[in-house]
Amino acid sequence: MTPPGLLGVALLFWGWQTGFLAVGAGMALATEARHVIRWRWDLARADFNRVSDLSAVLLVVIAVYQVLGNESARAITGLFQWLPLTVFPLVFCQVYSVVGTVDASIFFWSLRRRADAEPSRPGTPVDLTYPYFALVVLASSAANVRSPSFYVGLCALTAWALWRLRSRRYATVSWAAAVAGAVALGYAGHLGLAEMQRALEQRASAWLLEYIRRDTDPYRSSTAIGQLGTVKLSDAIVLRVDAPDGRRPLLLRDAAYNVYSSPVWFATDAGFTAVRAEGDGASWSLADAPAPAADSVTISAYLRRGTGMLAMPAGTTRLDGLVVVELSRNRLGAVKVEEGLGLVRYDARFGRAAVSDGPPTPADLAMPPREADVVARVLGELSVGQGPPADIVNRVRGFFMGRFTYSRFLRGSTVGVSPLEDFLVRTRAGHCEYFATATVLLLRGAGIPARYAVGYAVHEWSGLERRYVVRASDAHSWALAWIDGAWREIDTTPPEWMGDTDTALLRPLDDLWSWLTFGFSRWRWGERDDRLTTSVGWLLVPLLAILGWRLYVRRRVSTPPPAPPRRVAPPRGADSEFYLVERRLQALTFERAPGEPLSAWLRRIEAAHVPGLAMAPVAAMLTLHYRYRFDPDGLPEEERRTLASSARHWLDRSDVRLESAAASGGAGGGTAPGSPARPPR
Amino acid sequence: MRLRRAAYRAFRSSAALQHVLVRRLTPAGRLVLAALAAAAIIGPNTRLTVAYQAFTFLVALLAIATALSARVPPRLGVRRRLPRFGTAGEPLVYTVTLQNPTGRLQSGLVLMEDLEDPRPTFEAFVTQREPGEERRNWFDRTVGFPRWAWLMARARRAAIEAQPLPPLPSRQEVDVRIEVTPVSRGSLRFTGVTVARPDPLGLVRSLAEVPAPASILVLPRRYPLPRFELPGARRHQPGGVALASSVGDSEEFLSLRDYRPGDPLRRIHWRSWARAGRPVVKELHDEFFVRHALLLDTFLPPGGDARFEEAVSVAASFVGGTGSQEALLDLMFVGPEAYTFTAGRGVGHVDRMLEVLASVRPCTDRAFAALADLVVSRHTGLSGAICVFLAWDDARRSLIDTLRGLGVPVLVLLVEDAAVPGTAEPDGVHRLTAGNIAQGLARL
Repeated sequence: MTPPGLLGVALLFWGWQTGFLAVGAGMALATEARHVIRWRWDLARADFNRVSDLSAVLLVVIAVYQVLGNESARAITGLFQWLPLTVFPLVFCQVYSVVGTVDASIFFWSLRRRADAEPSRPGTPVDLTYPYFALVVLASSAANVRSPSFYVGLCALTAWALWRLRSRRYATVSWAAAVAGAVALGYAGHLGLAEMQRALEQRASAWLLEYIRRDTDPYRSSTAIGQLGTVKLSDAIVLRVDAPDGRRPLLLRDAAYNVYSSPVWFATDAGFTAVRAEGDGASWSLADAPAPAADSVTISAYLRRGTGMLAMPAGTTRLDGLVVVELSRNRLGAVKVEEGLGLVRYDARFGRAAVSDGPPTPADLAMPPREADVVARVLGELSVGQGPPADIVNRVRGFFMGRFTYSRFLRGSTVGVSPLEDFLVRTRAGHCEYFATATVLLLRGAGIPARYAVGYAVHEWSGLERRYVVRASDAHSWALAWIDGAWREIDTTPPEWMGDTDTALLRPLDDLWSWLTFGFSRWRWGERDDRLTTSVGWLLVPLLAILGWRLYVRRRVSTPPPAPPRRVAPPRGADSEFYLVERRLQALTFERAPGEPLSAWLRRIEAAHVPGLAMAPVAAMLTLHYRYRFDPDGLPEEERRTLASSARHWLDRSDVRLESAAASGGAGGGTAPGSPARPPR
Repeated sequence: MRLRRAAYRAFRSSAALQHVLVRRLTPAGRLVLAALAAAAIIGPNTRLTVAYQAFTFLVALLAIATALSARVPPRLGVRRRLPRFGTAGEPLVYTVTLQNPTGRLQSGLVLMEDLEDPRPTFEAFVTQREPGEERRNWFDRTVGFPRWAWLMARARRAAIEAQPLPPLPSRQEVDVRIEVTPVSRGSLRFTGVTVARPDPLGLVRSLAEVPAPASILVLPRRYPLPRFELPGARRHQPGGVALASSVGDSEEFLSLRDYRPGDPLRRIHWRSWARAGRPVVKELHDEFFVRHALLLDTFLPPGGDARFEEAVSVAASFVGGTGSQEALLDLMFVGPEAYTFTAGRGVGHVDRMLEVLASVRPCTDRAFAALADLVVSRHTGLSGAICVFLAWDDARRSLIDTLRGLGVPVLVLLVEDAAVPGTAEPDGVHRLTAGNIAQGLARL
């Protein structure tokens, strides 16, 4: 078993790292109390089997909880983080059991069956404490605390455990040097490993990443403009929209950008500023001045590790019921959550005009030089003059409406021609990014400040969920135009794009699963109106109570194998001075073999002819010692004194010898056959 | 067959790897390796967890420990003093004398006994069937891991833990007591001794192997027998064994007859010679031995491997059991041929018979009739027969009937896997259940 304190400190460390300090402290207290509490349970194999089953059930419950509430990679680490808790009942029962070990059969059904069939067969006792210690330390790593504390704790705890198990052959210094070497090497190694991953990731395709992640980068948006092949998007549901009486917004915006450099849109001069929460901490006002909010929708969205952009309708002035720690927004109308839960659900109140976005700047009129030529040509073709902005917008809309088609399939563009020019002049087919970018640039060319917005289109009503669902494939982009002192959404993509999806066969099943996980996540991320949390928590109570009761009632029989204050009288002669002589001889010469009679051992020492060691008095002392120890009549007082005095005399003389041996540096130790060995340490 | 071969290779190499790991790594080292594997599984994404820090630290620990254990430990002189026999299930103690030839005190070393490689040959893996294999699922039967595990467990007669050695003074010898409990009968073969030295961290060992081949014959497990009368045994034989083993005849007078050349002189009845005028000798009673047959059934019913081992143990209990020196005991069984070994009254020795039992194997190529023929052909000299059977069928029943018909009292012991409730014991048959043999014998 682990030395006192080790497991407890490891569990505290786990609690500290994972943020479950109270749980960790409880478990630490429970395991370490074994050094104080003297009673033990007399647990049979069947009891351990039951506890092992409980651990398995706990594991399954936590696994389901993690899988439903997290993406797969997080689910595995989340599960791993909780492993110490699931295995804890087993370790607890082990340390408080009379046997002090568990049988390996409790982990395997086949071994259990065999053990049931052959009860007399000896099992394989296993001590779980060290493996549990390793598990606890590793599980702390899953908390992903990016400070040196994990590495320091890891090294300190490992060194503590190894200290007990080290070989006594070597000096402490060499052990410490080896551990220090490993600490240094491990530190350099993990820095290198992290750096390596960073380098690898940088090489990975940015394009790929953009389409895998839902996260929107508020500062830059890579488009697929100029790419080849079909753009594929996932069918996974990313947002859910509850709109009262069906008055839904058509578009939910994630972010907006103002500078185009093919094929990327950038948001420049768009730093985020924090938004202050109102009284209850869950309401956030986005409008600088109070504005009438006509409508409201409730949006549910998943956040990755609690951070991400919030999708909301244009003109959102207020967010209610949003439980996050930090919310910030930028000038272009993007709203970012810094510390939230895995799932957020909020009411967005919005008006017709997007008053919350910042007014236009010269950047909203900038034309990339590469595209200026083709934009001017198209504007000439449309004969757009200096008319009212609404008119210009209508013309641009009409331009795209009649002559352009929607296509996700992208052909290569003509050499030397920009993809946008190719789209506007030659192919006249593309996806939303082409339409939105072209619209923005055409409006700017006509003198209307415009921005490029990305987000989602809301159009699919789910009969199953009784609400609108938004899939990753509903990701959309459109233009924002500054008309009459407000930003208006201009979506020029032909509307047929919304039906342009190849519906997968299993989509209904996927949707059902998604709905179930959504329901679970809502419960998990602690929505107030849900009583599931408490009910499931209460379900565990009887389970644990039954187990505890069974343990308590069944084995109360042998509760205290009490602290053994064995009051056995010391054997007669135990105070004989000869024992001191024996110890000294062991130190000076060689060890007495187990079971070797004292006399035989003395003869062996005598035969070794150790210089300066007087053996004759020892033989005499041995005779007296034997009589003192075993003679039923005991030793007369006078002879008892003789034994004591001659032993003291001999010990004094041998002290001198020991010192002289030390003074000679032990150089004589064991050079010739039969010469005395140096003391073992 | 190709799958079998692939599976065999995989099992074989994984057993070799396990062997190397167990020897090269201390228990702490093995735990570090396991933790390393766990860290590698959860830690590949350095952003998701900090397990990669544990990974590199554990790699560093093992790397340093391996580097520090690169030097081979000193080669010690090894002398093993083994007893000739051990008994399955009984602890066996022997000593190993180690001599430290170096000029330094050697401390912290560990001694590991090298036993014969227990891995079966491919042929054995293909041909031998694990008891109850037909009940296994398709996958287990096809891949054959349970069979492999069974063959390994059967070949591994004993597991000897690594022994920490006391400090070995320079150029001196130290005796180390090793206790081992053989699990099955047969020959326990040692190939050598490995001296291991852990590194300063106590994770990795460096090994020095010293060849020291030796073997112990492990005798079958024996059960205590109650005091009971063997069938047909006589009580209070005058003279007993001491007389019978030193002299051929007893002292009991039978009659007088004429001298025949070769009669010892001390038998001449002088007074009758004087009266009859020709040499007359005393004729004395022949000594009658009590002679029992011990029949061991080697004809294995399907899946009866455990039963067979128990039957051998039961037979061994009778060999070493009550009053065997008062009577002759003929051990009869059928192996490659039909065998009879006799012991008792100074003729053979019990040890020899136990040695025979230590090596007896099931008979697969003959019928039960071979044993029946053997015992019937010798029935005239038998006072009784003890039959240890593995099954109860017509062939065995008819043998028992035949023997009883010939006037030979019979004790039948039937070894079974599990007690079948509700089955009545046939007349004179004692059922013994594998795993509860001792209780069964106590009821005799």
